[in-house]
Amino acid sequence: MGWLVGVVAVVALLGFYLTFTAKRVDRLHARAASAGRALDAQLVRRAATSAVLAEEHGEPDLYAAARGALDARVEDREAAENDLTRLLRKQELDSSEASDVAVIAASRRVALARQVHTDFVRDALAVRSRPLVRALRMTRRHGAPAYFDIDDPTLPSVTQVTSRATRD
Amino acid sequence: MRIGIVCPYSLDVPGGVQLHVRDLAETLIAMGHRVSVLAPADEDQVLPSYVVAAGRAVAVPYNGSVARLNFGPISAARVRRWLKEGDFDVLHVHEPMAPSLSLLAVMACDGPIVATFHTAMTRSRAMSAGRRVAQLVLERITARIAVSALARRVQVEHLDGGAVEIPNGVAMAKFAGAQPLPGYPRSGGTIGFLGRFTESRKGFSVLVDALAELMPSRPGLRLLLAGPGGLADVDLPPLVAKRTDFLGKVSEVDKARMLRSVDIYVAPNTGGESFGMILTEAMAAGSAVVASDLDAFRRVLDSGRAGALFPTGDSAALARVLAELLDDDARRHELGQRASKAAAQFDWPVVAEQVLEVYATAIDAYADDPKVREEL
Repeated sequence: MGWLVGVVAVVALLGFYLTFTAKRVDRLHARAASAGRALDAQLVRRAATSAVLAEEHGEPDLYAAARGALDARVEDREAAENDLTRLLRKQELDSSEASDVAVIAASRRVALARQVHTDFVRDALAVRSRPLVRALRMTRRHGAPAYFDIDDPTLPSVTQVTSRATRD
Repeated sequence: MRIGIVCPYSLDVPGGVQLHVRDLAETLIAMGHRVSVLAPADEDQVLPSYVVAAGRAVAVPYNGSVARLNFGPISAARVRRWLKEGDFDVLHVHEPMAPSLSLLAVMACDGPIVATFHTAMTRSRAMSAGRRVAQLVLERITARIAVSALARRVQVEHLDGGAVEIPNGVAMAKFAGAQPLPGYPRSGGTIGFLGRFTESRKGFSVLVDALAELMPSRPGLRLLLAGPGGLADVDLPPLVAKRTDFLGKVSEVDKARMLRSVDIYVAPNTGGESFGMILTEAMAAGSAVVASDLDAFRRVLDSGRAGALFPTGDSAALARVLAELLDDDARRHELGQRASKAAAQFDWPVVAEQVLEVYATAIDAYADDPKVREEL
């Protein structure tokens, strides 16, 4: 009898652990995908606010970079976003102008969204590499998530801009 | 926005995390958000209306000090009930890596979770208990906030994840508007120090040495000292002891009044300070600040533009900086004004806006979740 109870207990524990792990794999992949879509939305928002800024400042290069970021194919997107960041950094931003503030805020949100996305991608990739997960092919319904590797898009914040303005 | 905040420590015990949670909650409420704070407390304790008691806290030694924590099945059930009743858009936990209400909330919540890390601990039980256990907690957290660059570095190096750095807030109005203590400001020069002066890392002895050098030639110079402990526990030269006005442990209100009373506030810490809350408070009070050249202090003081820096532990250098400032009223006032201007970026409404952006990011990262969409 004793051995039977033992076997049942081991099987139950193993079942519990497998269900738990499978759910964890699903959850982390869903989070990474969802965070990726949120990041996409923030990137689009940044490009849109940049386009408005470019029209107001009369900056054709910035406008082209904003369009480039919006139209880029998946494999070119990181480079296109970096181009946009580089051109935005060259802008003289004024914290009293609504469209300037919008770009600064949108850039900050891109940085936050990317942080969240990067963390979930790392977690998902870590769980994918576990031997048990690989052996039981728990990831067969999910493609491997990829990092979105871009330069830090944060622009000087409004407060920093103000303090610099008062210092000069 | 419906916001649930979990504080792992009892609100009736003074501490940085508790003050942070209280100020953040009150600021968010003033901005029109619905906030509920879950914290350890007895049922019969008088609490602010936005606080929900999670039962009596048990004293547990943790990370070198005593923490009062709630942990166990009863606490877990209370946390689940609070989450269900609150129906929060976002859950904000503080110090989630310690076995506490925060950790229970992280494990019980299925929605967006924001976590704030306060301490810059390099090792703790939770971390040494194993990365794989820590990972189970961390991967449930949507976005992380660190209150200092040091706390952020711990995140990156030890917990393998990024964190947004958002500084501690300071209730600007409370400090800027405080009435100086009776008899202040006085002439002759008043130097201020507040904190555990018996702890060596607070660097009080550096200040004492500097004062011992300055006081013989400056008959009016006095030290205004506040903090827990007794004067008998520190070794003071007779002249410094004679010219020290000791307030003992002060309330939040008296702290603000004390900071408004001094001409120069000195933070001579020799290390271990993760953010330097007291610096921002002294700056908000508009006093000139002299601080040791630690990374955290340098950042708060805008690399010396909002306060004077001296090489850490160098009392002779501190004495020189103090002498210069005591002799130059115009420069001292200018420094005080720049300090209060710089402190404005740490004012709670400004800091709360940054926290709200993190909330929005965490919520966005879930909005598209198929599971959440089914529920909508």
